[in-house]
Amino acid sequence: MFKKVLLLSVVVLFVLSIGFAKPVTIQFMTFSASGDSVKYFEEMKEVFETKNPDIKVDVQSVGFEDYFTKLMTVIAGKNAPDTFELNYENFYTYAKKGILLDLEQQIESSGFEKSNINEMALKAFKLEGEQYGLPFSFSNVVLFYNKDLFDKAGVAYPTKDWDWEDEQNAAEKISALGPMTFGIFQPIQFWEFYKIVKQNGGNLFNEDRTEFTLDTKENIETLQFMVDRVLESNVMPNDAQLAGMGDWDLFLSGRLGMLVTGTWAFPTFISDCDFDWDIAVEPGNTQKATHFFSNGLVVSKNTEHPEEAFKWIEFLSASREVAKIRIDSGWELPAVTYEDILSDYVSQTPPENRKAVFDSLDYLVTPPVINQFAEMADIVTRYLEKAKYGELSPKEALTEAQRELSKKIELE
Amino acid sequence: MNHKRKALSKKIFFYLMISVLSFFILLPFFWMVSTSLKESKALTSIPIQWIPENVTTEAYVTLFNVFPFARSIFNSVFIAFAGTFISVLSAAMAAFVFAKIEFRGREILFGFFLATMMIPGNLVMIPNYLILRSLNLIDTYTGVLLPGFFNAFGTFLLRQNMKSLSDSYIEAAFMDGASRLRIFFRIVLPLVKPALTTVTVLIFMGNWNAYLWPLIVLTSKEKMTLTVGLSLLNGQHGTDYNMLMAGAIISIIPMIIVYGLAQKHIEGGLSVGGLK
Repeated sequence: MFKKVLLLSVVVLFVLSIGFAKPVTIQFMTFSASGDSVKYFEEMKEVFETKNPDIKVDVQSVGFEDYFTKLMTVIAGKNAPDTFELNYENFYTYAKKGILLDLEQQIESSGFEKSNINEMALKAFKLEGEQYGLPFSFSNVVLFYNKDLFDKAGVAYPTKDWDWEDEQNAAEKISALGPMTFGIFQPIQFWEFYKIVKQNGGNLFNEDRTEFTLDTKENIETLQFMVDRVLESNVMPNDAQLAGMGDWDLFLSGRLGMLVTGTWAFPTFISDCDFDWDIAVEPGNTQKATHFFSNGLVVSKNTEHPEEAFKWIEFLSASREVAKIRIDSGWELPAVTYEDILSDYVSQTPPENRKAVFDSLDYLVTPPVINQFAEMADIVTRYLEKAKYGELSPKEALTEAQRELSKKIELE
Repeated sequence: MNHKRKALSKKIFFYLMISVLSFFILLPFFWMVSTSLKESKALTSIPIQWIPENVTTEAYVTLFNVFPFARSIFNSVFIAFAGTFISVLSAAMAAFVFAKIEFRGREILFGFFLATMMIPGNLVMIPNYLILRSLNLIDTYTGVLLPGFFNAFGTFLLRQNMKSLSDSYIEAAFMDGASRLRIFFRIVLPLVKPALTTVTVLIFMGNWNAYLWPLIVLTSKEKMTLTVGLSLLNGQHGTDYNMLMAGAIISIIPMIIVYGLAQKHIEGGLSVGGLK
């Protein structure tokens, strides 16, 4: 009798241990774990697995360049990872194609605290009113400036009230310092263009995105302003003057007064600049407009473990632990609202005016994502280049771009 | 005397040309080595630091920390050698059949085989992936190697070479009672050694440099090959060039060794041929 009971209990225990204690493994594919960042991922994973002993995470890290090739193949091969990372531009396409899990139900049942996440960032990962992703990190674009050059030229430092004219005046004075010194660099390409036209009250489309509006007066004025900085006042170097140097390198070499670029330049500039520098909110003309980029976390529609998958992305997106790891390491910002953690970030220097990163959020513009996004970007960039090299006047360039876009790109 | 001097000046000219050429060929390699030993700050400094001011092996050290680098070297070596061995063997055997064994429909079959060369690799990526998935071979070395086992180009090259061998060799061996397998290994293979070496080097290079397919099939870090591991250094906003260069230097070493060994064989092989 005793033997039987013992045997039975052993069997029951065995079954129980298989049935309940077996941890669920969640796959996570990411492009953010490149180079040195790998170790932060290990740290995050460890914290998560300690907090959730019944969930294991399998982090699959892929270089950014080929990330989407691999992701597409794996999804087409019906072997999508449970959770993965998408940048904002790709998020839209993937959500539209019906590859992603609608998170509304998980948000309801898990008691997810929405207020822990920056409202605008959270909204960015909605499609047609439904939440399909959570923001993982965000970055924006600010005006970087070389304090030493400003001092030398005797110009006051940029403030958040600056407009294009102030910027141009400063750029001219700095340019006058020497033949190989330049006032400003702001690339003339699609990504810059869709934002900067908004600083002048323009836009690529009309309100409800049914038609392109490239050749409006505001847009032409804007492009004229951009091009003049290269061709007329030459406060911004042309390709020959750049001689193959990148804009960051020019700034690092101490020969550039102002640079409009992303906050992801912080780690490089902090370690490699041997002069004083700071940042400010980007100047606008009739109004302000600043870039907003974000990487999002999504769950595959075909996952077998939606709850565990959501737990993991919620942890990456909104937990204090991850936010702290990110900020301590000077990595891209988490899109969280925890005051105490963010104040840690703001108090780090350089740059002294780190607050500008958050101030910029008030004027954010998201990438104008449409179905034929890449094609649109190619067409616009091609005409912008023609204007940049003086082959077409800004007016001609935008009129022709408008014609080609209307013909080749279908808006919904 | 005059003649001698002419020969000497010719020689000097020759070596001068070679030196200039090799200078330009070696320059990028030198640049790679120099970049890999720089701090990230010195990478883009102007004036260019041809010889880094502060020599540091930091890039190499970080490289080994970022991903299991030593392990990925082993993976690459294993995949390249195993894959090359099997592909070359199968190509040579198929070539022998297509060249020396008569059967009905041989030419048509060979035509079909060659036609597979016309299909771009990217096109069959997803079908291949689906097949491997149903065989449960995702994230295995076999999965990486399987689609590459049968190499149409190598087969073609070897077949053309074997066709030019006189049938008398094979007949003679046959008379002496040698089996087909024996003929293949003892007679045919040694005779096509130069072509075999070429095919081996080509296939080895292909396997060693293979990137997209291993990237797609392999998911766990421990199985990554060097090329896939190195691509991890490409970030969304930038690339760690000194680390990339350090990795690239380590990754070309086996190629140089294999090439050095093979070169000897190509030279040696040329004098072996049975047709004088």
